[in-house]
Amino acid sequence: MDWLDLTIIFVRTAVIYVAFIQVVPIMIWVERKGAALIQDRPGPNRVGPFGLLQPVADALKFLFKEDPIPKEVNKFLYAIAPFLILLPASLVVCAIPIGDYAVFFGRDVLLQVADLDVGLLFVLSIGSLGVYGILFGGWASSNKFSLLGAMRSSAQVISYEIPLALAAANAVMFYGTFNLRQMVFAQEGTLFGFLPNWGIWYQPLGFLIFFIALFAETNRLPFDLPESEAELVGGYHTEYGSMKFAVFFMAEYINLATASGLMTTLYFGGWHLPWITDARLLELLGSRNLLALLQVATFTVKLSFFMIVFVWVRWTIPRFRFDQLMRVGWKNLLPLGLLNIIVTAIVLYLVEGR
Amino acid sequence: MEAFIPVVIMFVLALLLSGAIYFITSVLGPRVRGRIKLSPYECGVYEPAAQTSTKLPFQFRFYLIAVIFLLFDVEGAFFLPWALIYRESLAVDGTLLVGMLVFSFFVVLGLVYVFRNKYLNVD
Repeated sequence: MDWLDLTIIFVRTAVIYVAFIQVVPIMIWVERKGAALIQDRPGPNRVGPFGLLQPVADALKFLFKEDPIPKEVNKFLYAIAPFLILLPASLVVCAIPIGDYAVFFGRDVLLQVADLDVGLLFVLSIGSLGVYGILFGGWASSNKFSLLGAMRSSAQVISYEIPLALAAANAVMFYGTFNLRQMVFAQEGTLFGFLPNWGIWYQPLGFLIFFIALFAETNRLPFDLPESEAELVGGYHTEYGSMKFAVFFMAEYINLATASGLMTTLYFGGWHLPWITDARLLELLGSRNLLALLQVATFTVKLSFFMIVFVWVRWTIPRFRFDQLMRVGWKNLLPLGLLNIIVTAIVLYLVEGR
Repeated sequence: MEAFIPVVIMFVLALLLSGAIYFITSVLGPRVRGRIKLSPYECGVYEPAAQTSTKLPFQFRFYLIAVIFLLFDVEGAFFLPWALIYRESLAVDGTLLVGMLVFSFFVVLGLVYVFRNKYLNVD
């Protein structure tokens, strides 16, 4: 490991981080246009063509707004809470593989920030740290709405973490590794000659549980009780203003992107094009870097699909009540997750055991 | 440990971004302060006497949920290392399957106990 390697690592990390951050303005536009489409109204259409510059205008407005610190808040926790959400959200990006590798300056450059052997564990553990930001933000605001939002949020996030971990355990059992890159390699090629060899065909129930639990973990509708604006004003970020308020949304959208990336990686073949192996593609294209570009493009398309599903669900399904939320998490998803593990284990034993 | 170098770089980048955002917002933007603006928002009520403290004790249900979460999360954590080696172990024999089934039985037993005592009914 010399200075060139270190430079490559630094540039790679910065580029991928910026790529995940620019998801935020794009998603703001997609979300507002999607809402407009579903509610049959034009949506943002004044700033730039199709309102494309609306997120830029929003960001500028946030920057030039006053940043008041209310009188009774716990100043330290109030100030760091938004960044306590942003930090874990950024760190989780590290584990998502967006492609195999490209060749620059005669070196193999991994298209992933860090090839971690504990990838899935890293995502689960660091991802769940975000709840501290919400809890501190809500509690330090010394506002009843914020406190209620924070309490609901912590109860919700910890309740849905168990189904998430069980679904993840199921994926780990199937692939036999925690390494997300190895999981993607295992999903290459075709199944029965006509299906892409994706994880979802092997563990559909696991995918369903993972999908639902991710909605709760990212605080998206129908599970957005922490900030349910009709009952709690703004939930845990009622007292926040200026860019600190925007940081909550940045973190939410980065979380959304990593959640979509995780689903793509675990269940939808990651960077692989369906029906064709990478070796065959390399033969056709003749260049490693072209293949890498194609892989990143494939991954981006799959990730965008899930992002649009998140928006679509948000504007289609109404919010759950709190007791309904707890019932779904504990009485439906948790037993289903256990059942899923037991059934998968028995089927694996029948197929492969001796 | 070498694989974690990029994670450290990412952490530093995220810290820099947070610092930049914090600094920029505190520099830009007007500063017009007032008693009413700095009071906690509560549906138009701004007299201090009308507001009660928010440092109330948590509802007991939330504590119970936290304890139950802790129990089941630890049990979920036991599943992960087992899942990692399960498929490899099948080439030898099915001992791990039996062990897991016994363990799951006790997890389900705990779940049934929690449900029957209605510890998770929040309403």
